[in-house]
Amino acid sequence: MKPASQPAPAPPAPPPAPSAGASWLTPLWDAVTSLKLTLVCLSVLMVLVVACTLAQVRLGTWGAVELYMRSWLVWWDVPRTVLSVPVFPGGALTGLVLIVNLLAAQLRRLELSWKKSGLWVVHLGLILLVAGEFISAAYQREHQLLFENGQTVNYVTSPTKAELAIIDRSDPRHDEVFSIPQSMLRPGAVVQVPGRPLAFRVKEFHANSQVGTVDRGMGMASAGLGPELVARGVPRTSRDDERNMPAVVLERVGAQVGSGPESWLLSTWLNRAQRLEHEGRTYDLMMRSEREYLPYALLLKKFSHDRYPGTNIPKNFSSAVWLTNPSTGEARDVLIKMNQPLRYGGKTFYQASFQGENVSILQVVENPGWLLPYFSCLLVSVGLLAHFGISLARWVRGQSARRAAKAALEATP
Amino acid sequence: MKLEKILPWAAAAVAVLLVGISLRPARGVNGFDLAGFGQLPVLEGGRVKPLDSVARNALLMLRQKSSLKGEVAGADGATAKVKLTASEWLLDVLFRPARADAYPAFVVDDPDMLALLGVEQKGSRTYARFQDLLPHLDDVERQAMIQPTDNDQRRVQRAAQNLAERASLYGKLKVSLQLPGTTLADELGKGGAAAARNLQAMDQFAQFRPLPPAAGAKPTDWRTVGRGLAAVASGQRDPILEGWASLGKAWTAGDAGAFNAAVASIAQHVRAANPAGARQGVLESLFNRADPFFSGFALYMLALLSLFVSWLARPAAFRSAALVLLVAGAVVQTVGIVARVVLQGYPPVTNLYSSAVVVGWVAVVVGILLEVRYRRGFGTLAAATVGAATLIIAQNLATSGDTMEMMRAVLDSNFWLATHVITIVIGYAGTYLAGFLAIAATAYRHLAPNRDRRDDRLLGSMIYGVVCFALFFSFVGTVLGGIWADQSWGRFWGWDPKENGALLIVLWTAIILHARWGGYVRERGIAAMAIFGNVITSLSWFGVNMLGVGLHSYGFMDAATFWLATFCGSQLLLMGVALLPERFWKAESWRASREPSTHDRATPAVHGE
Repeated sequence: MKPASQPAPAPPAPPPAPSAGASWLTPLWDAVTSLKLTLVCLSVLMVLVVACTLAQVRLGTWGAVELYMRSWLVWWDVPRTVLSVPVFPGGALTGLVLIVNLLAAQLRRLELSWKKSGLWVVHLGLILLVAGEFISAAYQREHQLLFENGQTVNYVTSPTKAELAIIDRSDPRHDEVFSIPQSMLRPGAVVQVPGRPLAFRVKEFHANSQVGTVDRGMGMASAGLGPELVARGVPRTSRDDERNMPAVVLERVGAQVGSGPESWLLSTWLNRAQRLEHEGRTYDLMMRSEREYLPYALLLKKFSHDRYPGTNIPKNFSSAVWLTNPSTGEARDVLIKMNQPLRYGGKTFYQASFQGENVSILQVVENPGWLLPYFSCLLVSVGLLAHFGISLARWVRGQSARRAAKAALEATP
Repeated sequence: MKLEKILPWAAAAVAVLLVGISLRPARGVNGFDLAGFGQLPVLEGGRVKPLDSVARNALLMLRQKSSLKGEVAGADGATAKVKLTASEWLLDVLFRPARADAYPAFVVDDPDMLALLGVEQKGSRTYARFQDLLPHLDDVERQAMIQPTDNDQRRVQRAAQNLAERASLYGKLKVSLQLPGTTLADELGKGGAAAARNLQAMDQFAQFRPLPPAAGAKPTDWRTVGRGLAAVASGQRDPILEGWASLGKAWTAGDAGAFNAAVASIAQHVRAANPAGARQGVLESLFNRADPFFSGFALYMLALLSLFVSWLARPAAFRSAALVLLVAGAVVQTVGIVARVVLQGYPPVTNLYSSAVVVGWVAVVVGILLEVRYRRGFGTLAAATVGAATLIIAQNLATSGDTMEMMRAVLDSNFWLATHVITIVIGYAGTYLAGFLAIAATAYRHLAPNRDRRDDRLLGSMIYGVVCFALFFSFVGTVLGGIWADQSWGRFWGWDPKENGALLIVLWTAIILHARWGGYVRERGIAAMAIFGNVITSLSWFGVNMLGVGLHSYGFMDAATFWLATFCGSQLLLMGVALLPERFWKAESWRASREPSTHDRATPAVHGE
């Protein structure tokens, strides 16, 4: 960086070619390390951020983020055709180019000196920050935990994905649960329940649907609730306030009802399971939010929702929870409230929402890179302080020197 | 003595005089101790505040002004002019509701709402009376509940929702002390029996709670009049309730002596029961009356005026006077911000209103530092402009209700309010100060006769330094926001519009600095880029609230959209001007072609001696 009163800096001295004999590498190396590339990347990011923000009105937060920020290229669907053409670099590509550019420029241009130490630290911090966002995009997993006062829960549910659950209820002492992720429910696929003489063929699957009731016998399936139900596929949604409600029609392999195959219509719209009796065993079938079971359990002792007196302004939400972990013998009280999450077993449980006065909803997050932004923030702040501090001190010294010189000049007759 | 010595002192005297006037004790109106009434503490919106605040905030919400002026039709059909302070208006709402219903208390701008009410549009602002509104309340509420399908319907729906909300506020104020058709004195005379029947209504719909918590109850458990009457019905005496009853009777009868005695009695009993509440009432009503942000605004305008004069005559003297006025404004504004922190018990920035106040304050303080060091007037110019402009914005934001509201659960964290929010706001102040310095630099190059080239460079360095300042605080603030988000809902970065807005500021300031370091832009380019920073910051600050998505969309505004667009447009225009090549705007050649004789601005001696 140059003091303001000096003319623009001369272009950097030509660097030694990185590898002798490969002359085409030099312009490439120039381009990769150039400040112009940095400026282009930053400008592209600005455009992406603006586009992403505006698109959120239409697509919801995560739809817009997938389209603009977490993509390598931004695709545009040409109207009235099936064509989709890339029109702009995506956030992931820009971020990657920025990291490469930062690293390369750092290696090439910035000398190791105290004067530049601030910049080194700043850019290291920035690289960590962008890397952290890549890690979040790839590894961060978010679930929900919904429980009511007095309920014990040992699983978390996916806010977006659903699964087909086949629960063998034959043994009164425990249930056996077979869950099939929705990604396996492609039309034509056969789902075999392991260890059981039970298999289904997927007849229809809709990732998002509407389900309605009709007169008995007019429905889309022959068994369970099916004779009174119809399902219709609708476009998938990515909006924050909606979720996809999948529906599936299954045919049991080798089973007949009257003249047709025995078929079942399952959907997350239906809150209850449908019962199937087969070879002396009892199964419950349902579509539900995909579950991940935990090796520990949480009991909601009491959900509290305080408001400021005389108003509806929420003052605080909190869940008093009893945490038990049979594998470690742990059993303790935990209070989860706004701005005070529970970090346990690689997951973090946040007080996110509630239903009525009794049901508490926790957001459950796993992100192996969650500490990176903390380091990054520290590095960049310290680096910026050091850099601007050093520059300011130099500039002030320069000013004083110039003023002294001027005074000396004027003093000379 | 030389003018250079006298003028700064004169400026200081003006500032002291102005503040002194703002602090003068309020006079009673026709002998009624309205100031004493305004100090009485009540609980409203979850916090203890004086009735003066209740009255001002309500009137600001209803008619966007903190006093009431207009015409009232008398019984004989003749119209009479009324001019009421907020406290007088509130007293009428509480105790003479029929009269208050005839006041033009509701500002209605939306033509559809006016048509619905059957009120004729008059001039730029039309005021409706509650009695105009009452027969149509059902229609308004129905309109507020529709499922809009296009933008026109959405606008009408919003206008209806807004009007219904204000009508509800007015209705709740009316039943805070007594129900329609009865008076508090009557109720007390009957031993509170009737009110015990209507307890539900009086307890639920009361806008404020005037009775301090019973001994041993939680400090926030102030009681409604309904609860007080129920206690009276069960045989307890309540001197505060009795005080309110005689206050109401005295106000209705126009008996100033009895009114003042009742005010004194209520004040005394409340002070005995709840000294903290009583203190809050006195301090906050003093704060309301002193209105330090208005004094600050006036001082910034005077500073600008003095600076303008300095361009015509006596540059050094008037520039010093301007700096004195700017510092005085900053001191007054500091006192105001500290007072708010003390009264509210939260860090200084809790909502859009206070963010505007603090953005201006930071810009002023940094501007003062620049001015003290370089003494060329540019720091004063940019600082006073940003300071005055942000206070105007704050004044307009105050019409959405109590500006010292309680914080919602997710935002109720003093640590993060004090770190993330403050740093972000300091960043905003930095980009605005840089932007206005850039506008000053542009204007200087275009308009100043015989400009000094060194000033161009000085302005360039100032802009550069302030952009560095802005980058630092914007970056740290943004990342702190991410850490807060990680702490409270497990997501460091959620691409929420407000986060994106903050990121845009960081990216833009980084672009400015890198472009300068790379030598791609010089003084002109940096000025234009810094002006664009004003656009980015404004969009990030207000624009994202207008999108209505995301976790941060707490303040939805309509009218502000127009002003935001206008401001951004003007900034783009200024960028164009900043980029004009030198020969088009060279001030000397322009002047030389019109008036051959120029005099040297740089030496004050020309005017001074």
